[in-house]
Amino acid sequence: MKECKIIIMGFGSVGQGIAQAISLKKAMIKERYGVELKVVAAADSSTSAINQDGLEEMLLIHSKNSEGNLSAYPEYGSSISGLDVLDAVDYDLLMEATPTNITTAEPALGLTLKAFEQGKDVVTSNKGHLAIKFGEVTKAAEENGVEFKYEASVGGAMPIINFARETLSSCGINSIVGILNGTTNYILSRMTSEGSPYDITLKESQELGIAETDPTQDVEGIDAACKTVILANSVLGIDATYDDVSVDGISNITSQAIELADKDGYLIKLIAEVSEDTLKVSPRLVKKGSAYDIGGTLNMATIKTDLAGDVTVMGLGAGSLETASAMLTDVISILKVKY
Amino acid sequence: MRMNLVLELLDVPGQLVSILEPISGLGANLVTVVHRRDAKNEKGKIPVQLTLEGEQENLNRVIKRFDDLNITIVEKDGFTNKEFVSTILIGHIVDRDVRDTTDKINALDGVFVIGFDIKLDGEKKSTALINLEVDPGKKHFAFDKIAEIAGEKDLLMINEV
Repeated sequence: MKECKIIIMGFGSVGQGIAQAISLKKAMIKERYGVELKVVAAADSSTSAINQDGLEEMLLIHSKNSEGNLSAYPEYGSSISGLDVLDAVDYDLLMEATPTNITTAEPALGLTLKAFEQGKDVVTSNKGHLAIKFGEVTKAAEENGVEFKYEASVGGAMPIINFARETLSSCGINSIVGILNGTTNYILSRMTSEGSPYDITLKESQELGIAETDPTQDVEGIDAACKTVILANSVLGIDATYDDVSVDGISNITSQAIELADKDGYLIKLIAEVSEDTLKVSPRLVKKGSAYDIGGTLNMATIKTDLAGDVTVMGLGAGSLETASAMLTDVISILKVKY
Repeated sequence: MRMNLVLELLDVPGQLVSILEPISGLGANLVTVVHRRDAKNEKGKIPVQLTLEGEQENLNRVIKRFDDLNITIVEKDGFTNKEFVSTILIGHIVDRDVRDTTDKINALDGVFVIGFDIKLDGEKKSTALINLEVDPGKKHFAFDKIAEIAGEKDLLMINEV
């Protein structure tokens, strides 16, 4: 039986989702693709659990949640962290789910480049290194002859990158226009349904755990702008970085604006626009009942193509297991070609 | 085949002739023409109704010629060619001379404010919904220019997708 030895870097919401998804699907993957997935290491920001013979996925989650760090994993808990984890064990594939850093791109950048140098494949949900150094990172993967997949970095469970590149491979893609941030979509949807002001709706979203304590990345459009850069590079082949995107968030949207838009048959949504001429994230008016009329934390994107016309996708843009599902799909696509 | 058109002409000598001249040359026949110089519209332009007869291909060539001549076709066979779009402005709209804002928008070629709804929020920023009628193909021009006007007055503009 072939084996794929996995390191999970980052053990927050997404990292734990990966562990759970592997636990749920490893039997199916073994049966269908003839490869056994084995988690040989998992690391949070300061500790890890490492065992060459494999770790129990659900026990990793339990250890992290009961003690707050992975060193609590019975027998194999360790104080090794960061880049050192990649030297501490023999592995085949890195699943990288550390928090996005839009300034330095670390630790994702260092981890990814090191894995490439070691000749290992990488699957990531991180946006930082892709938004700042897309060209450099993808080139490094090519030079080292390894696979690099990042479907989960845009739209969570919503299929978009692989969908546009593979399923729509006969088409030229002219543009992508969509809602790429679930938190702001939730806030704007609530402001519309409740008539509530921005500040109060944001606070409510934070209490529900939908918006983060520091909501800047979401509400100021930074998260959506990173995804805009990733789509521009990966789907439209535009050599762009974060600084090329014009970004406006939703913090200046008044409840009066929502009300006036509503009266005229419109909704206000934070829209990302990706085309050769325009890289832009801004609040926009969309027609009620149109493809852009989606509520809650959903994401959507309309891909404008030359042969197939407009194709619209929709799905859950965030969430632990949902994001992990996109990463596991990436892993399977690597298994199909390399194992 | 017949086609009814409503065009808009500037009130200057020679305009009517300039549009009638291409018609026969392109293989279409003029059935009726209604030109009322005393019926200027709100933009100061004169509406001209035409009924043409000919093969579809020839009628299409006439339409293309009018487009090339930058003649605005307001209506074709009873359907208006105008686009109706909306935009929202947020900021100190009243303090930054709301009259001047609408005048500047109305001064744009082929762009007309047909609705203006403003909501005030005490001392805070106000919000306005502006409904626009724009000539065919002028939507992006209108949004770009209004964005410039909004930028000068530090207003946030929310456009249609």
